[in-house]
Amino acid sequence: MAKSQPGKDNFTRNLVIAVVVGVLLIMLVPTLLSRQTDSSASIPANVSADRGYGVVFNGELTGVPVVDIYEDFQCPVCAQFTQLNGPYIESLIAEKKATVVYHTLSFLGPESVNAANAAACAADEGKFLDYHRLLMMNQKQENSGGWSNNFLASLGQTAGITSQKFSSCVNKGDYLGWVSNVAAAGAKANVNSTPTVFVNGKEIDRNASEYFDAAKFKAAVERG
Amino acid sequence: MKKIQPWFGLAARLILGGTLIAAGYLKFDELDKSQMAVRAYEMLPIPLANFLGIVVPFFELAVGILLVIGAGVRISAALSALLMIGFMIAISQAWARGLSIDCGCFGGGGQVPEGEADYLTPLLRDTGLALLGIYLTLFPHTKFGLDKKPQSATQIGEGAHG
Repeated sequence: MAKSQPGKDNFTRNLVIAVVVGVLLIMLVPTLLSRQTDSSASIPANVSADRGYGVVFNGELTGVPVVDIYEDFQCPVCAQFTQLNGPYIESLIAEKKATVVYHTLSFLGPESVNAANAAACAADEGKFLDYHRLLMMNQKQENSGGWSNNFLASLGQTAGITSQKFSSCVNKGDYLGWVSNVAAAGAKANVNSTPTVFVNGKEIDRNASEYFDAAKFKAAVERG
Repeated sequence: MKKIQPWFGLAARLILGGTLIAAGYLKFDELDKSQMAVRAYEMLPIPLANFLGIVVPFFELAVGILLVIGAGVRISAALSALLMIGFMIAISQAWARGLSIDCGCFGGGGQVPEGEADYLTPLLRDTGLALLGIYLTLFPHTKFGLDKKPQSATQIGEGAHG
């Protein structure tokens, strides 16, 4: 049998394998654990864990359609969707014609997480809808630094939020745990693109342009 | 031929390993998207798809790094080939069923508008990579690897019992 070459023995090789596999496992295991729903995370006003941690409007109504809206604040198509159907959705809420649940996903990156957290802070001030609308109207280049916590806090003032608590909530990331719970619930609900809308638990038809034809969207909601 | 083979093996290692590292790196800090990409294939139960969406990027990084370093080439190459075959099955079934999704091979993924899905490119790429993986499984003796050389010219393999 040939002798091992110095420096090229199995020890080095096995050590390298152990280090590579070990380091990645050390990164993987906490990642897997952190994606479990953290039921101890604090949740903003009007959020129901039973409804996928979404921000709920008119949750008390019965016999009306339940509209679940999954969106990412940085998603440009979501902004178009809001521009087109937002006023109708807000009228459903105001006239108590539907239960509407907003699920603020954050798969587009860190500034989506910032924005979702800030929206939760706005929910505590009773200004979720105004803040939601402002975010969609003020989209920046994705993760370009545009949606810093400072900007998001000042956007709150535009929405008429004056409290000190709001800016502290935005800057401290009070609802980051909740943001990841929303993401985990969205994954469980098999949401594979944004915006995704469920009416009474069933996705409306993307191919029949029920998302981007205001009349068809309305019909899809009323069909229930 | 005997002289060229280890060099070809080195090239195979770097191409396969480099591609895997790139794929894993582009996904591993966007795990929500990665999970979305796996779910969009509509092939696996949702919890399993979500689990794979997290695990696959790390797995790609691990075998990719090992291939580039040249440690445990045979097993890493075999695992990569299996992974590629898995991807090919997933992509083929999505194509056959007329799903409209992004392959999510290098990040991204999820549903795309009708007619924008491209299945041929990833399928051809994965076929090539799978062949490299199979080649390295059969001939893991390559230049500049950490694995020990085989004891004799006739012996293929890693010579683990040296």
